[in-house]
Amino acid sequence: MPRAIRGVLIECEPAIKSIIVHLDSANNDIIIEDLDESHLVVKENMVHLLKQKLEDRLKETYRPEEPLADSE
Amino acid sequence: MSVGTQSYQLSDYLEKLPGTTFRKLYQQPSTAFAIFRRMLPPLAKIFVQALLYAPSPLLLKQLDVWVKAEGKAQRDRALSILRSLHIVSISVGKDKPQEVHLTTNFQNSLRLALEGGGSHGSFGVPSTLPVDPTIDIPYLDRYARKKWEDILHYVVNSVGVHGDGGSGGSGAGPKASVKDLLLAGRLVERRPDTKGGIAITQAGFTFLLQEANAQVWTLLLLWLEAVDRSATASGMDSIDMLSFLFMLASLELGRAYDTSALTEPRRNMLPSLVDFGLIYIPRDPRQYFPTRLATTLTSTASALRSVSSAFAAATAAAPTDATALGGAAPAPAVGTESRGSIIVETNYRVYAYTSSPLQIAVLALFCQLNMRFAGMVTGRLTRDSIRRAISYGITADQIISYLAAHAHDQMARTAATVGRPVLPPTVVDQIRLWQLENERMRTTPGFLFKDFDTYDEYQALSSYAEEIGVLEWKNDKKGMFFVSKYEQLRDFLKSRKSSK
Amino acid sequence: MPPKRKAAPAAAGAAKAGRTSAMSTPGPATPRSLDSSIMSEAEEDFDEDVTEAQKKREEMLGQEADEFVNSWALSSNRFQNKGKDKHYDAATHYFGGGKRDFSDLKLKPDYKNRPLWIDPLKGVIVLERFNPLAEQATDFLTTIAEPKSRPTFLHEYALTTHSLYAAVSVGLRPRDIINTLDRFLKTNLPVSIREFIESCTQSYGKVKLVLKNNKYFVESVDAEMLQKLLKDEIIGKLRLHGTEEVTTSYAPTMGGLVIPGTQNAAGVHQANLRKAGKAGESGEEGELFATLNAEEDDEDDKEAVHAFEIADVNVEQVQKRCLDLGYPILEEYDFRNDEVNATLDIDLRPNTSIRPYQEKSLSKMFGNGRAKSGIIVLPCGAGKTLVGITAACTIKKGIIVLCTSSMSVVQWRQEFLKWSNINPDDVAIFTAESKNKFSGNTGIIVTTYSMVTNNRERSHDSKKMMDFLKGREWGLMLLDEVHVVPADVFRRVISSIKSHSKLGLTATLLREDDKISHLNFLIGPKLYEANWMELSQQGHIAKVQCAEVWCPMPTEFYDEYLKASSRMKRTLYAMNPTKFQACQYLINYHEQRGDKIIVFSDELYSLKQYALKLGKVFIYGSTGQAERMQVLENFQHNPNVNTLFLSKIGDTSLDLPEATVLIQISSHFGSRRQEAQRLGRILRAKRRNDEGFNAFFYSLVSKDTQEMYYSSKRQAFLVDQGYAFKVITQLANIEKTPDLAFATAAERRELLQRTLVDNEKGTEEDVETDDLFGKVRGKKKGGAWGNGVRRTAGTLGELSGGQDMAYIEQNKAANRGLTKKAQKAGQSAFFKKIAREKERSRVGK
Repeated sequence: MPRAIRGVLIECEPAIKSIIVHLDSANNDIIIEDLDESHLVVKENMVHLLKQKLEDRLKETYRPEEPLADSE
Repeated sequence: MSVGTQSYQLSDYLEKLPGTTFRKLYQQPSTAFAIFRRMLPPLAKIFVQALLYAPSPLLLKQLDVWVKAEGKAQRDRALSILRSLHIVSISVGKDKPQEVHLTTNFQNSLRLALEGGGSHGSFGVPSTLPVDPTIDIPYLDRYARKKWEDILHYVVNSVGVHGDGGSGGSGAGPKASVKDLLLAGRLVERRPDTKGGIAITQAGFTFLLQEANAQVWTLLLLWLEAVDRSATASGMDSIDMLSFLFMLASLELGRAYDTSALTEPRRNMLPSLVDFGLIYIPRDPRQYFPTRLATTLTSTASALRSVSSAFAAATAAAPTDATALGGAAPAPAVGTESRGSIIVETNYRVYAYTSSPLQIAVLALFCQLNMRFAGMVTGRLTRDSIRRAISYGITADQIISYLAAHAHDQMARTAATVGRPVLPPTVVDQIRLWQLENERMRTTPGFLFKDFDTYDEYQALSSYAEEIGVLEWKNDKKGMFFVSKYEQLRDFLKSRKSSK
Repeated sequence: MPPKRKAAPAAAGAAKAGRTSAMSTPGPATPRSLDSSIMSEAEEDFDEDVTEAQKKREEMLGQEADEFVNSWALSSNRFQNKGKDKHYDAATHYFGGGKRDFSDLKLKPDYKNRPLWIDPLKGVIVLERFNPLAEQATDFLTTIAEPKSRPTFLHEYALTTHSLYAAVSVGLRPRDIINTLDRFLKTNLPVSIREFIESCTQSYGKVKLVLKNNKYFVESVDAEMLQKLLKDEIIGKLRLHGTEEVTTSYAPTMGGLVIPGTQNAAGVHQANLRKAGKAGESGEEGELFATLNAEEDDEDDKEAVHAFEIADVNVEQVQKRCLDLGYPILEEYDFRNDEVNATLDIDLRPNTSIRPYQEKSLSKMFGNGRAKSGIIVLPCGAGKTLVGITAACTIKKGIIVLCTSSMSVVQWRQEFLKWSNINPDDVAIFTAESKNKFSGNTGIIVTTYSMVTNNRERSHDSKKMMDFLKGREWGLMLLDEVHVVPADVFRRVISSIKSHSKLGLTATLLREDDKISHLNFLIGPKLYEANWMELSQQGHIAKVQCAEVWCPMPTEFYDEYLKASSRMKRTLYAMNPTKFQACQYLINYHEQRGDKIIVFSDELYSLKQYALKLGKVFIYGSTGQAERMQVLENFQHNPNVNTLFLSKIGDTSLDLPEATVLIQISSHFGSRRQEAQRLGRILRAKRRNDEGFNAFFYSLVSKDTQEMYYSSKRQAFLVDQGYAFKVITQLANIEKTPDLAFATAAERRELLQRTLVDNEKGTEEDVETDDLFGKVRGKKKGGAWGNGVRRTAGTLGELSGGQDMAYIEQNKAANRGLTKKAQKAGQSAFFKKIAREKERSRVGK
């Protein structure tokens, strides 16, 4: 009998997958299965947190906003 | 102008109607005419004209005369639309070649519409009573504009980003019936935690950023659907209502029409139409005036553009701008459909020449506003402001279209002289890139199947999953797959086991 | 002498203490302060051997300057009446919570014809460029306000204490400012602005310090002001005894002063020629002359000025005291009446004419016939050097020029010889390699900031030179690239070398440490700032197409990146193979078009790797002087050498006129001025092409890394000048590039491994040997490598030795190829000239 595991399928670019794997490496509590270079299965209850953490990570790379206070 | 996929337009509505409904609809020449004008692509119109006076059905391939060699796709599309609108009927063509003809009611009505004649009153009966001279076109325009903006204000002010909302517009806002409609149509929804008790939805955003004509239809269709749902109760007939709308669309702006010539159900529609700003009824209710919002219901895009500038001109005559500002009472707002007033610079700064709280509110949806002067506001497009807008459901395309549609004359002129696009390409690209930032990851809840005993088992199950459309991912080598639902698979497995 | 000021501790303090740590843990939150420490550490160690006491004093002075400036800010309580919360309509709350809704300012009836709005809270001015009066308004605004945003349709400026200070110093009177501003405004002038202008200008520019006939005078048009000062207990005592209490004379006017190279000058020159040729036509010339000078020489309108004398030893004290009282002193040099200092025989060459914007900037400096001290801001490539030289030719007294590196010293001297007729013997160089004086009793010395300010043990020659510099009164001090050098350095330069006037030249007044105010007090106010877009539209500087190329990282690289330390992160995003390929692609593409390409990298490891792999020449800190010259020479003139890789060394004013493409593969942290400066490298390019752009600037960034953040931060300044950065996410047909590097996964993996191993120790020589000031070479005389590599764990020798040697060997490969070619071609004129210069300096003339 095959196993059926409940989870959430993540489809993304390899770079994002790298970040997720990296985030998971701390406690190994996010990823259920690493499928291929652009797919993962993660725990349902970790999705929200994952999105947040991903956002935090990516924030570092974004165009910074000039604070409006600067001249205005 | 592109509208989001969530927007619900007339064509969507019509497509759902059954053939019998169409037959009824097409009894009215104005309806046939309106649909002919607005709903058909050029090639379809050509086909209709070809068939209009044909005494008997034509062979389908005779229509190919009008089709270019590479135009097969257009031909198919035209025929498909004509079919779905029940304008043409095409024979099946098993033993003999296919034939095509116009549906009867449509054909008759269109002929009448083009030739005139008949006593259907389908195009409205002008009033014979004297007309009050103060009710001229500018007056009607102002009236319509105000009514419409009250509705928009109500929707805009329900956006969370607008803090406590404020009261926007003047007076108490739109009538309760209209508010109910907006709720029923899910353009806004009840939210106890906000000050006004309501909050805008994604569909509501789409609505806000649409151009006026599309907005009007959105509301009207919501109304029709509401009627459909409570069909028995109200006694109103949405088909007849739709016919009436098409009739209104054929009326002449500035003319008074006879109320008593209308059927009673149609007379009962008038109050709501007044609420929407499509109709104006003077003190003497024996007359009614269509406003520009009504008469342009079925206009083509180019006509609409000139409409919006007419609107702008009309409302510009009214006291606006700084001279009226400064007191507690807000000045009559300049229409959202005003002549282009927004400048977008290459460094993401935005300058909008407007005093309208409504237009400012719309800008605030996706801009970070900064300073306000008399007649001009400044702000910026920032990553945060765009992403916030995206999170509410607005798309990058909608924002870009809005900015392009409202581009200031200076921008349009400069673009024309140097042959470049109106909006700075770097800014347009960046808005899209910011939207993409949000879409880095697609999530689908479901189940991962693994550890199959045999490859056959895996194969059988994954194929079945694919067949029933629940398969999201699979890998034959690994012998795993992911599905969004698993009940059917479980049953399938069981039945396989038992059949062994 | 202007009072000493010190930059806030953050910059200097970090300088000594935790530099290594500061550098290795950058984060998005820290770039700002970090950059200033990077700025100072990378350039020069200026804080060495400064005593604690001196530091403390400088710190205190710095704080005072800050306080002064802040108390005059528009948004302070002084000008804004607090609190009635505004609520005009439903839209009000969008604007700063209601605070920035200024719609209550009523429009004038003819507002459509007026181009400006003003924000009464922060002094922001918005200008409609398409308005009929836009041109005049722009001229006015550049004189009284700071440009903040200058794209296409609407520009923004800010009215600040500094900008008003500058306005007053070029001669505008408060009521003129107010009236003119009001004339251009769409609304009436808000009360807060009026009061702000009045209060600021009341104190600024009222008091001048003038050096006349070698005597110092405190001067003012306001007799009462002078009386006030004399009554002050400190200043009163400093009035020189034995002189008249207060003298009165006429205000100075331009009166016949002609700036060389200008239209005016051309006219006068013509007139002179004709006079010489045809004596009989005096009537005509007389007229011509009269017309030329008419505006300036109106005897009847002259204002009276009052002055009292002070001793030169008390100058600094008087300046400080005036500042305390709220009346910062403006310095002016009446060079035409300076009988004491020898006149320098120098003039612009006859066929040299200066451009309109250069002329404008100089007219601000010499507007009233005296030399005002201050700063002129022109984009890179717009001819700042010529402006400095023209100023020198106007003043015609001893000149000292301060540069950021020995390369630029050589170049400045070249420029002097090129544009002016000065005797080569009268222009001397003072650097680590050569310590010369001019032969006559006056002349020009060109030197570096570091030579003049470092307190270290000096060689005998060096000391003699310093005494020579300190012992004279200079007519003009030219300060190159003022945006680069920390404020402290200026303080030290200025306190040790006496000069009657100072001219700071720069491409941008942007400083990440935000110490513009200090520069204002140390050097002088901003005299002029040009508009980049305007200059490029007029063809004075190149039109540039800017693009950011996003290079995704292959998974293995990205995985490593996520785990890596900050330093390694930087190396990894520089060594991204996708970026490498993009670089290769672009080089290929542009070489085929016949462009000359410069590739920048701040990150030394990647610089070498890229250059070696692609077989291109490169220059970095350790490259020897002769080799540098040779490589540059080839880059400029050899049709086979079209791409040059440069490290940070290229950020100084290395003159590379023929580059048309700039590719940036790695850049430190996010300095806006750096990006602007690099653009300057190619802004000279004049070659036209079809697209209407004659130059290209590519910034290659690794996607999803911190580099993207820093990249956009750097671009901010340029974006505000009107440049638009296109984002390129894909390069068409890149796979078709011949010999595309790292095309296979195996190659990429190998690259990753190699990169990790090579950089493991974190002991890359990286920044430190990229020394702008040629210190590395200077030390060869016998000093230790000491300072040069202080920040690393070990010296060059300790690095993975063999490999490093291999690099150096290989590095010579491309460069060596040049030597042979050069030998074949014979030495070029340029090279010969350099050799001659060296000869001469060696002989010690």
